[in-house]
Amino acid sequence: MNILLAAALKVVGVLVFVMANAFMLIWLERKVSGYIQRRYGPLRVGGPAGIYQSAADILKLLAKEDFMPGGADRWLWLLAPVVSMVPAVLVYLVLPIGRTFTLQDLGVGLVFFSSVTSFTLLAIFMAGWGSNNKYSLLGAMRAGAQLFSYEVPLILSTIGVVLIAGSLRLQTIVAAQTQHGWFFFEQIVGFIVFFIASIAELNRTPFDLAEGESEIIAGYHTEYSGMRWAMFMLAEYSNLFTSSALGVALFFGGWHGPWLPGWVWFLLKTYIVVFVGMWIRWTLPRIRIDQLLDLGWKFLLPVSVANILGTALVLMVR
Amino acid sequence: MGLFDRVWNAAKSMAVGHAITIREMFHRPVTVRYPEEKPPFERGSRSVPVLKVNEATGLLNCVACGLCERSCPPSCIEIVQAVDAAGKKKPWPETFELDLSHCMVCNLCIEACPFDALEMADVVELSSYQVQDLIFSKDQLTELWKTSKALRVAGGERI
Repeated sequence: MNILLAAALKVVGVLVFVMANAFMLIWLERKVSGYIQRRYGPLRVGGPAGIYQSAADILKLLAKEDFMPGGADRWLWLLAPVVSMVPAVLVYLVLPIGRTFTLQDLGVGLVFFSSVTSFTLLAIFMAGWGSNNKYSLLGAMRAGAQLFSYEVPLILSTIGVVLIAGSLRLQTIVAAQTQHGWFFFEQIVGFIVFFIASIAELNRTPFDLAEGESEIIAGYHTEYSGMRWAMFMLAEYSNLFTSSALGVALFFGGWHGPWLPGWVWFLLKTYIVVFVGMWIRWTLPRIRIDQLLDLGWKFLLPVSVANILGTALVLMVR
Repeated sequence: MGLFDRVWNAAKSMAVGHAITIREMFHRPVTVRYPEEKPPFERGSRSVPVLKVNEATGLLNCVACGLCERSCPPSCIEIVQAVDAAGKKKPWPETFELDLSHCMVCNLCIEACPFDALEMADVVELSSYQVQDLIFSKDQLTELWKTSKALRVAGGERI
């Protein structure tokens, strides 16, 4: 009974956090974009600096009609948003939030993380195929090519860290950084590859070809409205948080930091990385699909392999 | 250009771009939160023509010559000259109506006026749900003049 209760509490906690986090990040994204473009961003809805804008958005989306396009593949179309939420929620399982606070500290945490996030592709393809819309399908195919080709450098770039720490368990990797120093300094090449690839995995500008609104309307969520569309957005912002959190755990020492408790450091660092992602989003223009694949296969992949080789050689000599 | 030059150029241009955006982020926003803060009217901008009153006599400067009425492209000014009991014309308007729903704020009436009787007021918040509320009478235009500052005066920019 206690196990069930603990599991239920964890699930509820994660879901509440996903909602609150998306609430915050959507507001933050609007504010960051506003101030970068020398506007104020949301102000009118109320709360400090217009923070209730997200609440108004959620109310609006709840009130919207749930419209299914004619000729849509019913079950694929209905399930795609739910499937996109599943990996977004599952990856919270292994995040090393505090020194002793992980929901389930798996021995293969890193592998679990990268394999679960691959499921996002399935949801995108379900949405693209099920919508019976050429723009959705084009967006899904672009997303497929993109996620497939950036998954490889993303995983390879983390191997350098794994070699130094000698473990796939995220808590052990973070603990190794408390003695060894943050891996960011030694694995800067790995971090750059990881960061570029994780932005591409999240389908965010400059790699948001899958939803390039000037070409294919909104890509795979063209035909979604109301809460189903909101679930895609929720998953997207949750993924933004979790992939930044993974970056923090691997390269910036996770919960390691003076004075403050561990989880505060963890959240602080994660939100700084999220901010950098937003900063990039509102600076760089979208790149073409051939440039995207060139960058993935011809640049990031060799660089990450070279990084692994270099790290392994240095470790062997030492 | 070799691979390393291209990578270097890409990295450099990205660094420059991000420096620009982060710098802009800490500047003051250029947008104005309109109902709470209002931007100043630029000198010489155009809004609503209003009727001036001679401060010495308390009468209108307007002599009902009708030049503004004739110069008005959308014909939104209507002037009826005052007439006394004997049928003699008097040099002031009996009615002076300005239909703001037609007015295109072209400033031609003010340029045409030889008597310094019209000027542009710094008033813009005159919108209404009723179109007849937008027809301004002589008294209303005088009231507007009393509560506003001039942006342009008759015969060119002499402010």
